[in-house]
Amino acid sequence: MATKETMPGLEVEEVEVLDSEAEATAVLEELTGGHDVRAEPLWRIRLRLFRRSFAKNWGLFKESKMGLVGLAIIILFGLMAVAHPILMSTVWDPAIYDPVSGYDAVFNEYTIVEDGAVTDPTAEISLSDAKFELNPNVDVGEVVRIPVQPAPPTLGGEEGHAHLLGTDPQGRDIFSQLLYGARAAFLLGFVAAFTTVFIATTVGSVAAYYGGKLDGFLMRTADLILLMPLLPLLIVLSAAIQINMVMLGIMIGILGGFGGDAIILKSQALSIKVKAYIDAARVAGGGDGHIIFRHIVPNVVPLSLLYMMFGVTTAIALEATLSFLGLLNIQMSWGIMINTASTQGYLLSGTSYWWLLFPAGLAVSFLAFGFFVVGRGMDEVINPRLRAR
Amino acid sequence: MTLSLENLQTRRIDPDKPLLEVDDLVMHYKIKIGEVSAVDNVTFTIHQGEAVGLVGESGCGKTSTALSLLRLLPANAEYISGQIRLNGEDLLRLDEEEMRERRWKDIAMVFQGAMNSWNPVYRVGDQIREVLDTHYRGEMDIDEQDRHIASLFSAVGLPPEMADRYPHEFSGGMRQRAVIAMALACSPELIIADEPTTALDVIVQDQILKELKRIQAELGMSILYISHDIAVIAEVTDSLGVMYAGKLVEYGPTAVVFARPRHPYAYLLLRSTPSITGPRRKLAPLEGEPPDLVHPPTGCRFHPRCPFATEKCVAEEPPLEEIAEGHRVACWHYDQVPELDMELVR
Amino acid sequence: MLRFIGRRLVQMFILFILFLSIVWLLLQLMPGDITDTLIGDPNIPLATRLELAERLGLDQPLYVQYWTYITNFFQGEMGVSFSRYPQEVSAVLWEAIPRTIVLVLTGTLLAYWMGFKSGKLIAWGRGGKTEQTFIVGGIFLQTVFYPWFAIVMLWLFGFYFGWFPIGRFIDVNLWQGSGFDATDVFQQLILTSFIAVMVYVGAKVLIKRTAGNLIVQQRLQRIAALLVFAGLVAYWYFNPAREYVWDIVWHTILPVVTLGLVTFGAVMLITRTSMLETLGEDYIMTARAKGLPKRVIRDRHAARNALLPVVTSFVLAMGTVIGGAIITEQIFSWPGMGSLFLQGIVVSDIPLVAGALAITGVLTLFAHLVVDILYTILDPRIRVT
Repeated sequence: MATKETMPGLEVEEVEVLDSEAEATAVLEELTGGHDVRAEPLWRIRLRLFRRSFAKNWGLFKESKMGLVGLAIIILFGLMAVAHPILMSTVWDPAIYDPVSGYDAVFNEYTIVEDGAVTDPTAEISLSDAKFELNPNVDVGEVVRIPVQPAPPTLGGEEGHAHLLGTDPQGRDIFSQLLYGARAAFLLGFVAAFTTVFIATTVGSVAAYYGGKLDGFLMRTADLILLMPLLPLLIVLSAAIQINMVMLGIMIGILGGFGGDAIILKSQALSIKVKAYIDAARVAGGGDGHIIFRHIVPNVVPLSLLYMMFGVTTAIALEATLSFLGLLNIQMSWGIMINTASTQGYLLSGTSYWWLLFPAGLAVSFLAFGFFVVGRGMDEVINPRLRAR
Repeated sequence: MTLSLENLQTRRIDPDKPLLEVDDLVMHYKIKIGEVSAVDNVTFTIHQGEAVGLVGESGCGKTSTALSLLRLLPANAEYISGQIRLNGEDLLRLDEEEMRERRWKDIAMVFQGAMNSWNPVYRVGDQIREVLDTHYRGEMDIDEQDRHIASLFSAVGLPPEMADRYPHEFSGGMRQRAVIAMALACSPELIIADEPTTALDVIVQDQILKELKRIQAELGMSILYISHDIAVIAEVTDSLGVMYAGKLVEYGPTAVVFARPRHPYAYLLLRSTPSITGPRRKLAPLEGEPPDLVHPPTGCRFHPRCPFATEKCVAEEPPLEEIAEGHRVACWHYDQVPELDMELVR
Repeated sequence: MLRFIGRRLVQMFILFILFLSIVWLLLQLMPGDITDTLIGDPNIPLATRLELAERLGLDQPLYVQYWTYITNFFQGEMGVSFSRYPQEVSAVLWEAIPRTIVLVLTGTLLAYWMGFKSGKLIAWGRGGKTEQTFIVGGIFLQTVFYPWFAIVMLWLFGFYFGWFPIGRFIDVNLWQGSGFDATDVFQQLILTSFIAVMVYVGAKVLIKRTAGNLIVQQRLQRIAALLVFAGLVAYWYFNPAREYVWDIVWHTILPVVTLGLVTFGAVMLITRTSMLETLGEDYIMTARAKGLPKRVIRDRHAARNALLPVVTSFVLAMGTVIGGAIITEQIFSWPGMGSLFLQGIVVSDIPLVAGALAITGVLTLFAHLVVDILYTILDPRIRVT
């Protein structure tokens, strides 16, 4: 697309013609809220403009009940992520509550009975089993204490520690893992989302602004990346190199940012490129970099923030999936929790060991849900057509 | 351009017989912050073979009135009171299925923006066929339908073979002609033309209007024109209604309303439009904004913008009073409104 | 139309070459080569390793290896699987491909069909509790952690209720000594279902051509669908392999439904948005003014146009569907390409992994082509003249 030989007509939208000086002053008053603009530093004006547009957008966002629910979910998980290090350094003994290396044996009391006479497996143990697990000297009728793992939730007591969500097959506290996992998920989600937004905004704006061969090249790259199924690709990569959380976030960000998001943001940037103020900026002597980063990018950012929300959803799900398959080089996350349960034979344990599969599975689902509905709420702010009439 | 209307049914008309009577129609839209009083106490009559126009600013309720006639209002609309009688039968009392059968067969509609009146994925001919399928179910076979569609196309000056094309293959003017062809499909007694020419360029506008007028005369139909453009209305209508803020403020023969508007709003509206054929005169802008219809002004709804407003206007609502034969005005001070020295554009 | 398809094919061929190149590059990233796995074995002398490397072409410069890889692929030559030595990768995949395609295709088609229907209906009867429930449910299905969801489904319906078998493709005990081969029976099943679908599509076109009225059309189509389905069931009911076919079908239901549900949520939401946008269009108002029955307005005018973005969305959904298939096969022990791929990753069976990826690429591109053609059929505005 040529940028020089054609000069689109300078269309001006909504021009108010002011008749008198008094009127001009009044308009200025209204715009500045009575502050003397000349005496004010630029950043304060910007801040005020930001605050005002924030208040307006927040008003629109508030209309979406589901968006508010999503926000509440995100805040809840955020609090969990923050709570973990605090709890670890205050009330939780690392030896017991560390999500990776902690260990706590919860004992259960069993009465030893004759072989074959076990009627209640949660309170009785056969003699031969007891001999095998404890020592050969036990006898029928004795009450013995045997550690159980995974242990069901306990509130603790005189001797035991509290495990609000029980322990996993290796005797580690599930609640602590869950909180720790929230931290990991946020870290990953934000790294991935910021990378996506950064790349997609830059690629989209540059492709739209320069057009021509560069545009063609970037968009064909996007097509190619769209063709690559994300999960198999990441599986191969994780087999080839050791991937940790941050790297995974960046990878997801790069693949997402160069792919579909770049195409969407490019079309947004294209619609801005033809606006009159871009021509005005060019006529005023603004360079390419100035126009792209001061004029186009700021207008693309709202939409890219929206895709950032969906990006977080994808990233959290991908990480959990890869962890579930045991392919990531990380020590603990929600996916790893499910991986631990399923590799240790609790895949179909269902409700009898609910604390192994449900907290982690629901945490991944709910956090993804939260970001997704916030994204939808933002979509309604940005796309007026979607608003309820 | 020759017209061939021989295949279409021509109706005998009795100009004194009322076709459609709108009686005291009140309609509200329910929105979050309250009720919008979109149509308030509107009363007018369309006689057989008559062309009636409704003018006003956007948001004055003219399109709402038009859609009311076909009961096509959005779900949040509510008829409060009034009657809409077609040949004496109150349309508001029909159930949904009976009303559906009346639509297009008795009252057809030409919408504004012909581009979007057509479903982009079907051939134009098939979209007309759909009307025949619905309203003449089992009465026409496919060949008869094809012949009928072809005659409709030639009636509006389109080559009949274009019925096999898709809407995007038509130009704007052709699309609007095709819309008119579709409106004629069941030879309705009344056609509502809502801004029929707004999106078209001036020359095409003129052609379309002439076409409509000729068809109306030859087929003996009535037409209700809805427009914000007085020039359009003046050219083609017999009677003219001026609407303001959901109310009919003036109604009468087009020639009379044009030459001697008695409502200040009608007067100012005419003054704000240049006349091409009349003498040179100063244009007066219409100041202010249309009122908020959730909380309409007390008394006369026009009083905040009216140069003749008095305390009575703020307190009491003027009735639509007959001031001359067929000329009705809703204003306390209609006699103060000066005569407009304007020749009829026609 | 043919020229359009031709042009798309050329574009896709280029894209595919690029895709293969990336796969090849990724595989170069994998640590070491096959001969390295023999280092630990003291019985194999260096000379033998070098000889092996030479035989496998690993001593060639990289670009030669690259060229060999690409050309071999187009001759259907994907090497020998390391983990299933001496089976050819192409043979291993050949057995797995139909199973994966059936899983993905049935799940996706069902999801799109149901998702479109429900999206259409909730948008049409806008407002109220039903819509809200469907939206929340749809978002939940779309954002639920899929492996966990699959585990819960398997546990709930396979274990807790016991309605369906717990994973796998067939019940091995049943088939032992039956004289039937699972792959053969499965292929026959696919063939007969395909024929049935074709007959139905033919009948549908015929009905459309002859019957004028939309409501009559819908009724006739429903009857045709019922007849074709009854015919298919009858064919297998009187077939000697009846029991065994039922075994396969019974094993298929749960994974297909699980995979389909997730797509269903997304499709329903997209359809709803698209339908709401369409319902605001002017031609819907025209259709109402024309006095068309409500069902005609909804199905023939609104839904038909709302379908376009839904079809396009399929291209973007492909990636998710492929990921979903891998997980489904893993959790339901479904012996398809996804399972092979994961096994290949775990045991570093590079040729198998590469083959599975390449075939996935071919299938994805094919799906893109189908969507493109479908779109041109559905939208006259972009039909090339």
